[in-house]
Amino acid sequence: MSLRNRLVEPFEKIHYKKIQVIITFSFLTLTIGMVVLVSIMLYNKFSKSAEDNAYLNIGQIIDQVNTNLEFYVSGMKDIFEVVQDNIANSHDISGVQLHEQLSTILNTRKDLVSIALFTEDGQLVHNTPQISMRPNSMLTKQGWFENAKQHPGVLQFSAPHIENLFKQPYRWVVSMSKKIEYYEQGREQAGILMVDINFKTIDELSKRVSLGKKGYVYIIDGLGNIVYHPQQQLIYAGLKYENLESVLNYAYGTYVDESTGEERIITIKTVEPTGWRVVGVTYADETMTTRKDLGSFMIWFLLIVLIIVLIVSVFVSYKISKPLRVLERSVKKVEDGDFGAIIDVSGAYEVEQLSKRFNLMIRRIRELMDQIVKEQEGKRKGELEVLHAQINPHFLYNTLNSVTRLAEMGRKEEVVTTITSLSKFFRISLSKGKHVITLEDELEHVRNYLIIQKIRFKNKFRYEIDAQVEALSCMTLKLILQPLVENAIHHGIEMMVDEGFIGIYAWIEQDELFLRVTDNGLGMTEERVAKVLSNEGHLSGRGSGVGVRNVQERIGLYYGNAYGLTFESELEEGTTVTIRLPIIRAVDQGGDL
Amino acid sequence: MNRSKLVGRFVVLALLFLSAASCSLHADLGQKSSAVTHVDMIVKMDHGDYWKTVKMGAEVAAKEYNVQLNFKAPTNENDYAAQIQMMKQSIADHTEAIILSASDYMALAQVTDQASYAGIPVISMDAEVASTKVKTYIGANNYEAGQKAAQRLIQLTGPDSEIGIINFVQGARNADQRAEGFMDYVARFSGIHLVGNVYCGSDELKAKRLTQQMILEYPHLEGIVALNAEASIGVGKAIDATGQGGHIQLITFDNPPEMLEKLQEKIVQAMVVQNPYSNGYLAVKSAVEAAEGKDIAERLDTGTKLIDLDNMLWPENQKLLFPFVK
Repeated sequence: MSLRNRLVEPFEKIHYKKIQVIITFSFLTLTIGMVVLVSIMLYNKFSKSAEDNAYLNIGQIIDQVNTNLEFYVSGMKDIFEVVQDNIANSHDISGVQLHEQLSTILNTRKDLVSIALFTEDGQLVHNTPQISMRPNSMLTKQGWFENAKQHPGVLQFSAPHIENLFKQPYRWVVSMSKKIEYYEQGREQAGILMVDINFKTIDELSKRVSLGKKGYVYIIDGLGNIVYHPQQQLIYAGLKYENLESVLNYAYGTYVDESTGEERIITIKTVEPTGWRVVGVTYADETMTTRKDLGSFMIWFLLIVLIIVLIVSVFVSYKISKPLRVLERSVKKVEDGDFGAIIDVSGAYEVEQLSKRFNLMIRRIRELMDQIVKEQEGKRKGELEVLHAQINPHFLYNTLNSVTRLAEMGRKEEVVTTITSLSKFFRISLSKGKHVITLEDELEHVRNYLIIQKIRFKNKFRYEIDAQVEALSCMTLKLILQPLVENAIHHGIEMMVDEGFIGIYAWIEQDELFLRVTDNGLGMTEERVAKVLSNEGHLSGRGSGVGVRNVQERIGLYYGNAYGLTFESELEEGTTVTIRLPIIRAVDQGGDL
Repeated sequence: MNRSKLVGRFVVLALLFLSAASCSLHADLGQKSSAVTHVDMIVKMDHGDYWKTVKMGAEVAAKEYNVQLNFKAPTNENDYAAQIQMMKQSIADHTEAIILSASDYMALAQVTDQASYAGIPVISMDAEVASTKVKTYIGANNYEAGQKAAQRLIQLTGPDSEIGIINFVQGARNADQRAEGFMDYVARFSGIHLVGNVYCGSDELKAKRLTQQMILEYPHLEGIVALNAEASIGVGKAIDATGQGGHIQLITFDNPPEMLEKLQEKIVQAMVVQNPYSNGYLAVKSAVEAAEGKDIAERLDTGTKLIDLDNMLWPENQKLLFPFVK
């Protein structure tokens, strides 16, 4: 069988109770169930932890950016305070000493662009480095100036802007500004101190952060102005949109934003000194790739497991059920009557055992059937013989002969007795065709026989019949005592010179019925006993026609081989034959057997 | 029987291997689907803030759309031959999309058609090219930009004055369109006398020279428009040299830092600023879409802004005018 056929064959006839279908189905259901369950659990577990990891990771990155920024801004704030202290401690704002101090401070940090002090109406009081001012700078309208003026004594951080005050290249700066007191030639004045930090450091700090391929970090100030955004131009050009309103509602935290149509994870941290918010934007589809990968992997895994399980279970169940099917076919053959069928099934151990036992059983059945046939044959034969015996012409002839002789001699009484006994004998012999009669009838039968024989043999022997009363109602096969008595007369008594004796006894002992025929005749050798029980001992024609062997066989057939005859014989002493029978009461045994 | 069992086991094993193989195969396919798109960007010149800004925008889009961007440009803006060569190279390289900012409207038409025949979509950025095969044009509406410049200049000089144009590359589509827009607007005013439209070839020195010539030739010149960054710088230098800053009304194009300085010093009255960052960004975005075979809009106008002293420090304009953090 080609593999293809083997795999296809099982599908051809789907019988729902077939082992193959059951195995395949349960295998499949179980495996799918388990795999789906495990997959779902794993998927949830993994995707949850992947998600948590992603969030954690983003949070850490944003924290890092925030920390860096805070550190940087705090440093700048410290510098501002140093500058302020220097100015406050200086007697004269235009002193050379102050200028040198401020120059030193400016030179310590490369990203300090300029330090400048203005009066409240925007006139330059002092600046380091000393570069002349550009015209039309409109500085009083700039955010850092206005804020410092409005919030005296509070350090202000501006959003990044272009520094257009001094004749140096335009640069992006963040201005720190504060309204302070200073001394001009000993007189206290109020002014706006401004320190510009180059924005480059912050820009690069933010630019370096990568949150996946598409993710980015941006910074807004407390009012929602963009401090840093990698796509600032696109937002201004209207090509991109950043949902700043919702960001402004949070100072800290993570949420999912879908305002751009894509699922984005927004993480927010506030930079303390400036009130800026660092906002991390990650794309859910990117951070959740693990989940997607996992999902597709699980689906593939499931599919493949399914296919494999299907194939394996079909294969395995086919393997298991095939010998069973062979077995089934063989049993069917037996069912159809072919007991010669020998099953040659190999396969699973159980199946092998089953087929072995089955073979044994078949053999046993065959034997039993042979035996039954044999027994039936024997029964039939025995019954035929009994049938013959019932109307044995030889016996009838002999008896009638002796009756004739008696009549001639005028022995009227004996003629009557003989004829009466003969009539009774035949009546019981026939007994309406019954096989089984009461022991009483059987004894009556043998009594009649003995009466006839005693007359015929001219009182050559005595006889005695003695039976327990309770034994009389037991049932027995008919014509079992007569052949024994006949045997006793012909082989024991007939040849004797002395008067013979035949005793017939019946009793119950240990729930069994015993019948005994005993004589004081010549006795038999053991070989003779054996011959009597075999075919050879059958004296056809001479006796009643039913041999001792027939009795033995019939008892065996009706009651089982446990029952039957036992011979005790001694030469010149006599023979005793004992019949052992089960007790079957007449009441129990209504019908014929 | 034993043999068939063995065969069965082999079948199962083979299936297991197959499934494992199919898994890894699937993973490979998965990676391929999100692979990079190769896009070549050919612009007019390899220096100048304008092109640097274009590149910056393009790079942002490249990151966003997973693009391998190949930025190519000749040293000289006049050098359309070099651009043709670059186009041919890109075609030979089987790049997936080309973004072209053509230095010459006509000269690059043929090679653009060739690229299209080779199945490479061509995106026209900044300046158009005379080919119907171009997928889309991304950039400013140059005609409108020219009109904007003219409108402001006439507001400044009044309807009766002499004005001149310092143009850049003859044959470049954007140069011609700006000039056309400018002249169409000016033509509405009978009192305006257009003294000339000269080409500096995107050379600052030549622009300076041409300006000086123009000023000499027309002493009553009241307004000049310079149609690109290099022309503007040259004109600015020429005005500086005359020491007559503010006397001649000056409208420039684009936003080189030196011109912004002059805007603050009121030597330049206004500048027409394009959005190079958006151009670069949108060009790459469209190139990816074109490479994927999607339908894209025929034109994308990224707009122009007229910047003067009043609005130059508006936050949204600062980033436009100063795209680089230095």
